[in-house]
Amino acid sequence: MHASFSLVKAWRDVRTIAFLTLDTLFWSKKTIFVAIISILILGMSVLGRLIMAYRWISVPFTAAQVFATLMSTAVIHFLVVFVTLFYGTALISDEVEGKTLTYLFVRPIPKPTIMVGKCLALIWISVMLVLPTIVLSYFILYLRADMTQFMEDVNLLAKDMGIVFLALLAYGSFFALIGAWLKHPILAGLIYAFGWEGIVSYLPGFTRKLTITHYIQSIFPHQDSSTALAMLIGQRTDSVEAVITLVLLAAFFLATASLILREREYVLEQ
Amino acid sequence: MSPILEARELSKWYGQVIAVNKVSFSVGAGVIGLLGPNGAGKSTLMKLITGQLRPSQGEITLLGERIWNNYPLFHRIGFCPEQDSFYERMTGAEFLAALLRMHGYDEKDVRQRVDIALETVNLKEARDKKIAAYSKGMRQRIKMAQAVAHDPQVLILDEPLAGMDPIGRHETIRVVREWGKAGKCVVVSSHILHEIEAMTQNILLIHNGQVLAEGDVHQIRSLIDKHPHNIYIRCSEPRRLAELLVGFSDVESIRFNTDGKVLTVESRQPDEFYERLPELLLRHEIELEEITSPDDNLQAVFHYLVK
Repeated sequence: MHASFSLVKAWRDVRTIAFLTLDTLFWSKKTIFVAIISILILGMSVLGRLIMAYRWISVPFTAAQVFATLMSTAVIHFLVVFVTLFYGTALISDEVEGKTLTYLFVRPIPKPTIMVGKCLALIWISVMLVLPTIVLSYFILYLRADMTQFMEDVNLLAKDMGIVFLALLAYGSFFALIGAWLKHPILAGLIYAFGWEGIVSYLPGFTRKLTITHYIQSIFPHQDSSTALAMLIGQRTDSVEAVITLVLLAAFFLATASLILREREYVLEQ
Repeated sequence: MSPILEARELSKWYGQVIAVNKVSFSVGAGVIGLLGPNGAGKSTLMKLITGQLRPSQGEITLLGERIWNNYPLFHRIGFCPEQDSFYERMTGAEFLAALLRMHGYDEKDVRQRVDIALETVNLKEARDKKIAAYSKGMRQRIKMAQAVAHDPQVLILDEPLAGMDPIGRHETIRVVREWGKAGKCVVVSSHILHEIEAMTQNILLIHNGQVLAEGDVHQIRSLIDKHPHNIYIRCSEPRRLAELLVGFSDVESIRFNTDGKVLTVESRQPDEFYERLPELLLRHEIELEEITSPDDNLQAVFHYLVK
């Protein structure tokens, strides 16, 4: 049976690579680390809920405020970044270090398809680990809250989940790109995520637009300290424009990663 | 008939290091042994053949087509890599199935091919055992199985006998010969001459990234025979043994080491020499302590060839 490069075949190849990658990613040590971060976020939600219930501090705050802060600081700027950094940079580098890349490269599957399949696995596992954390945090914080408030804010939760999905897509494809490109991608990823993104996104002027986080902040539905700061230093990008930019960035990073994978020779140490 | 695999002035370098240097050859159906010491460039050549590396200069074609990024061609190639690397969590059957799906087979075909491949390498019993729990020999065999599972026309086997037990080696040699007889093009690499001899008479001798000789393995053997073969002998009475050996026509010279306990014999017909020696020692009741031959390896042949 000869490989025919139809769309059906391409999708089947993407799915085959995605399943194989999903298995190796899920059973890696990275998952334990991600699980610990998720548990910490859930722990913070429980703490927030207890503070609200027993009024341990005098300043009153609502479940919506705690949830917004949690989403902005712990989920988007920490959990999403770490999940995509760890899994994204590992997509190719783990296969190179484990010397298993050979098995994929001697199959009748175009290398760009391998990259797309791997990125699909990355998004899949990231969604499986991050979205339940958000939903659980929401339920913990709104536990015993006014039902009307709960239902009103469900819309915000849905928006949050959409934003987190876009963030996973953009960061995931970016880290997949540097994983395919660099020999030591984790360090470069950390510098980018907590150096470049952390600093430049708060600088006034055009440079903010050179960060992924700027576009995420632009569509963030909550009002918290970081978004307030972002508003202080300048206009947000229009929501539609921000969403389109995030999707285009993800597509660009994925296309570049595929091109690198196609043209680069990976020398596996004997 | 056009060759299956053809290289023309093929070179590959990594920075300043030349791994393959202006190599030209053509290979048809049957088994060909790629023979060379470690670091000769065998693995690089195999990676060029399997499209994992792009030629720096020259050209390599398989079935008349260039290989690098020519994805449909990979359905016709099976590659058994040298490195002992796997998706360790998978069982043998899962590993084969995952790789077979990449060839576009449906689940029924995948199951059938997994069974056939496992049977070919005699691993049916261990099909549901995790690869992490496989012995070295079993790991080598599952690597072979993934190379043949899709029934490719061209098989590239990088040191396939490394780490195998004697039964596994015997079986592997048998199947490699069968594949060759069935009309497949099998390129098998090794740094051990007798391993290659067991699989094929047809060899490509590679050293320092260059092809030194191409053709029948007997020619290599005769090259060995043309040059005096050094044999070190440690025995109870070296001087007496020397007296006995000096009369034979194939013995070129006899030397003693500084303490006079080891004898170095130079012979032009080592096979006859080895055949004669035990009887000679027995008849004259000379006790043999050690016999070694530093020439009985390829390195010596390469040394002769490049001199």
